[in-house]
Amino acid sequence: MQIGRPPEDRSRISFLAKEGNLPDSDRPGGPRDDEALLEECRAGNLSAFEHLYEMHGARMKSIAANLLGNLADAEDAVQDCFLKVYRGAASFRGASRLSTWIYRVLVNSCYDMLRKRRRYPLEARSEGETLASGREAVTPASDHPLRLSLEACVKDLEPRRRAAFLLFEVEGFTHREVGDILGVPEGTSKTLLFEARRELQRRLWKRGVVPRVGA
Amino acid sequence: MNSGECRQFDKALARGQEAVAALEIHTASCGDCRERLRVWKEISQAAPALKKEWESPDLFSRIARALAAAPPHGAQAPALPRRRATWIPAAAAAALFVLSMIGLSVFKPGESGREPISNLRVSREPLMTEQTLNEVESAEAKYLQSIEKLSRVARPRLESPGTALLAAYKEKLELLDSAIAETRDQIQQNRFNTHLRRELLAMYQEKQRTLQDLMKEAKS
Repeated sequence: MQIGRPPEDRSRISFLAKEGNLPDSDRPGGPRDDEALLEECRAGNLSAFEHLYEMHGARMKSIAANLLGNLADAEDAVQDCFLKVYRGAASFRGASRLSTWIYRVLVNSCYDMLRKRRRYPLEARSEGETLASGREAVTPASDHPLRLSLEACVKDLEPRRRAAFLLFEVEGFTHREVGDILGVPEGTSKTLLFEARRELQRRLWKRGVVPRVGA
Repeated sequence: MNSGECRQFDKALARGQEAVAALEIHTASCGDCRERLRVWKEISQAAPALKKEWESPDLFSRIARALAAAPPHGAQAPALPRRRATWIPAAAAAALFVLSMIGLSVFKPGESGREPISNLRVSREPLMTEQTLNEVESAEAKYLQSIEKLSRVARPRLESPGTALLAAYKEKLELLDSAIAETRDQIQQNRFNTHLRRELLAMYQEKQRTLQDLMKEAKS
């Protein structure tokens, strides 16, 4: 199950990916540590990537959807991220955990897409954005009445503050992880989050959703 | 106490997160700052609802195909097989064909006694028939009536929202009403657009749910 091998091997990769016929030892959730996974990624082992996808795919999609503003672009960003992880695995030195590195690649992919396409302000939609197939994002079971207003305000945040807010408050990363993902010290992550929340409170006040607070 | 009387929260915000955390002591004796701190915390409570979840049954197979097509490490990578790329050649061909036809019509207007292009009529066979459309509009009107009934019941609560939560419901309903009005305008331009009608239905459903939640909140 090697990637980037001659064509005769690729048919097998497609078959394995399509049918999910992976050995039990390669099944997602198996006892794999970062080191072993990284080695498998470097070797181009498709099951390692499937394992990463099973572990992080949903969270990656959510982050990308919130950063990019629509679901189809989010899926493209996740795909792009996996390709970059494959290409970059050989040069990854393990300065951070494999998982945080992957999210860092993802966030950078999203920024690249925003820069390249320059259409976020026009196409950014929150809920109800459908894919070509008509599928839609579902609202979590624990919906909150502030959600729509908050979502609209988050979209207008400065990109680094928005990323810090989404990673910490929405996706539940620690400040250390957020720092690793954004390539900033842990303290800067805290500052970015604080600034994001202050800005959000100000914007929510402007919309008349929450009581006014000062600068 | 209003914001003009107590500036502790404002000052704490200006000083930083530790100062805000230290406000807990002050809020024991200041109701205004207590309310502001509660809202500050409510942003964190609302944040997880921004998480997006949706099914992507073919995403990993797309990734697997892209990985399988990727060259070995260090080589130049090919372009990603993006979902949009498939229709571009077909669209380009279609555009070329249409432009050619327009060109022929414009530059050879009298050759075969054809009508000018401005007089050509494009066949517009709607996806929905008139009868189906009438049924949809009738069902929509009934549904709208029931939501309006619910809105009338909720109106007194919305006119003077006593809590931040009710104010948030009000904001959400205003946003929904604005989106509904916009979509209805678009539908008026093409009454047969099923996609817009589905969007409109989803908005009505969301409004209904919000009104029901609001009434529950107002009762509790």
